[in-house]
Amino acid sequence: MSSSPVAGPAPTGPSSGAMTGPSGQPAPDRRRGPGRTGRRFRPVSAGGRNGPQRGARRGIARYWPQYLAVTPYYLIFSVFMLFPMLYTVYLAFQRWDGIGEIQFVGLQQFRFLWDDPVFWLSIRNTLVIWVLSTVPMLFMALVMAVLVNSTRRFTGFYRVALFIPSITSLVAIAIFFAAVFSNDFGLINAVLKALHLSAVPWMSNEWTIKLVIAALMTWQWTGYNAIIYLAGLQAIPSELYEAARMDGAGPVRIFFSITIPLLRPIILFTVVISTVTGLQSFTEPQVMFGSDASTNPNSGGPGRAGLTTLLYFYNQAFDNNDFGYAAAIVWSFFLLILILVIVNWRLVQHKERRP
Amino acid sequence: MDLSRRRFLEAAVLAAATAGATAACGGGAESTGGKDSKNLKLWYWAGGLSDKVVADAKKHFSGTTLKASVIGGDFKTKLLTGMKTAQTAPDITGIKGEDIASFLPNANRFLDLNSLGMDKLAPDYLSWKLKQATTQDGKLIGFPIDIGPCAVYYREDIFDKAGLPTDPVKVSAQLSTWDAYFDAGVQLHRKVPKSFLINNIGAVFSMAIGQGTRRFIDEDNTFIGDQDHIRQAWTTAVKPYTLGIDAKINDNTWNAAVAKGTVATGLGAAWYALDIQNAAPGTKGKWRVASLPSGPSNLGGSFLCLPATCANPELAFDIVKWMLSPENQARGFTDAALFPTSPAAYELPALTGGDAFFGGQKTIEIFGPAAEKIPAAYEAPADAAVSVAYFNELTSIEAKGKDPETAWKDAVSQAKQVAQRQGVK
Repeated sequence: MSSSPVAGPAPTGPSSGAMTGPSGQPAPDRRRGPGRTGRRFRPVSAGGRNGPQRGARRGIARYWPQYLAVTPYYLIFSVFMLFPMLYTVYLAFQRWDGIGEIQFVGLQQFRFLWDDPVFWLSIRNTLVIWVLSTVPMLFMALVMAVLVNSTRRFTGFYRVALFIPSITSLVAIAIFFAAVFSNDFGLINAVLKALHLSAVPWMSNEWTIKLVIAALMTWQWTGYNAIIYLAGLQAIPSELYEAARMDGAGPVRIFFSITIPLLRPIILFTVVISTVTGLQSFTEPQVMFGSDASTNPNSGGPGRAGLTTLLYFYNQAFDNNDFGYAAAIVWSFFLLILILVIVNWRLVQHKERRP
Repeated sequence: MDLSRRRFLEAAVLAAATAGATAACGGGAESTGGKDSKNLKLWYWAGGLSDKVVADAKKHFSGTTLKASVIGGDFKTKLLTGMKTAQTAPDITGIKGEDIASFLPNANRFLDLNSLGMDKLAPDYLSWKLKQATTQDGKLIGFPIDIGPCAVYYREDIFDKAGLPTDPVKVSAQLSTWDAYFDAGVQLHRKVPKSFLINNIGAVFSMAIGQGTRRFIDEDNTFIGDQDHIRQAWTTAVKPYTLGIDAKINDNTWNAAVAKGTVATGLGAAWYALDIQNAAPGTKGKWRVASLPSGPSNLGGSFLCLPATCANPELAFDIVKWMLSPENQARGFTDAALFPTSPAAYELPALTGGDAFFGGQKTIEIFGPAAEKIPAAYEAPADAAVSVAYFNELTSIEAKGKDPETAWKDAVSQAKQVAQRQGVK
């Protein structure tokens, strides 16, 4: 699943490959980026020159050290990722408590799912949290990237500072956020009270709960996306900016007419990645709203406002040991993510084809 | 270059093969064929048993290698995974009280302790607790480690300020019913406005359910969560919310609330004392314990079980029997606040002494009689899963101000659906 967003810029591949000169220099038409795709496709054509009719068998024999080198990854992948994934497909049609008999129930789990208000609530929660986090996150990331790109001093420091949140332990951040936003004893409410404002029940209102989770995700991933944008910005040739300035364009005009259009493939890449990761929020509500309560574990906080779909899946699988139902949840959710990614994808291709 | 690469690859392949062979050997050595192995594996969670008793068990059974592992994280999930094969399964394992019912349908994966001699020991242990680990056809899969007899924990100083009695005997007498308890709460909140009676209404609901002999599903595997006994518990639970004496705390701010006196009483099992001490060490000496209004209830309490793959059932049972003897249970109470399941232990000095945190009160005078009077209720395998809907809706009342009547209807319909999913009629 994670390979599809990585292939984001690929559709431009074949066409830009044709436009790439034999020297590997980027084609004059720079809209598609600085010729990285051209270089990427060279090994393929090099293999082709040796004659594709010789067959794949000889290819494997010829490149066995390389295949051997990548084998451990694929072995681990198939044991720990592929097999469990296929097994959940099987489980989605069974009833199983983890140690007892596995019992075939057909589509019953999906019928339960359709009628389960909690499942739909979890989908709604997930989508709201995703929108609340992704939109400000990508916007702020872009602004930060442009700001850092235009500074001359401390650039190394800024880059490290931007990257640190994304490699910080999520559990630690979640505990920290829960403490800062705590209703009665949190830092933010203490500040509000000091300013003679009324305290906000952050951790019990159904909207502020989502806002706090979204704020956490935004805080963690803004810098990461800014770094990606920064890389994209630095690939934009400076002649374009000079030419624009010669034509009398101001900074805002330059941002919207040069930076945004040239950065579009990268923006779309981050949108797809954020869709896939942002919809999988799990640890944030799991840690924030405690999982140790014996009567009510992993319920997603007051009013289940922080119950994301993956948390509900976890709750059904590992608290209720209803593995069949959990598998049905997670596969239905996979379909939803797939649809959203395809929608993004269509948007990409549509825009890219426009002259 | 070429040669060195080949050599490197050869070395890598060789190393991988060696590692594989070693792993295979390791696995082979661990697995034990017969049922008389002297190597036993014990799994429990931090605080699940007294570590000192476990250490002594290793010394006491000198011819045996008892490998005790404290399993962190989600214990039940790890146990389910571990029990997939005989090699990875423990020979003795803890199972938490809230999970035991969900293991009963798979009782064949555990040894029947009655056939190992537990039937003779049974009179020494609380019968209602043994019932929790007994299948409907009479197999006993768990040896009870501890129980959670419940009580009202209250702040003596705040009760004093509010003009309520402070002596545990008098408090127990005055708060004899839920209504009397709530009346006291109203008086307390009026006199001391910053203090509330309880932290949340889910606690009341869980106590009230535990006071009955029927829960959400009956012995015929029929859903009874919409019947009067549950409805009554619900009505009782909602009352403090309507009276405005509910602090509505559903997160970890509970710690600070206890320390600051925002909650003046707490409903909890014997081990709740430890929670209060950890949350608010500064309140030492201000707390007391009184009987639970409207009769005793139980919350939690674990078991030791022997998986069917146990390498030496007789020896394993002897170890369990030794670790959970009345004397060692008394030590478990001192070391890990594990309230004994054997009434004989209630006479031992470890339990009869006064507790400084409770101003020297002898808490056994409250917990001991309660422990023996806890009603034996049938807990169905899906009980815990079904009950979640009620607790969530009670939280919704507190968090969103949801209408209690709507919340009740939603809770019942969700609970019914979960029951259906879990195969309940």
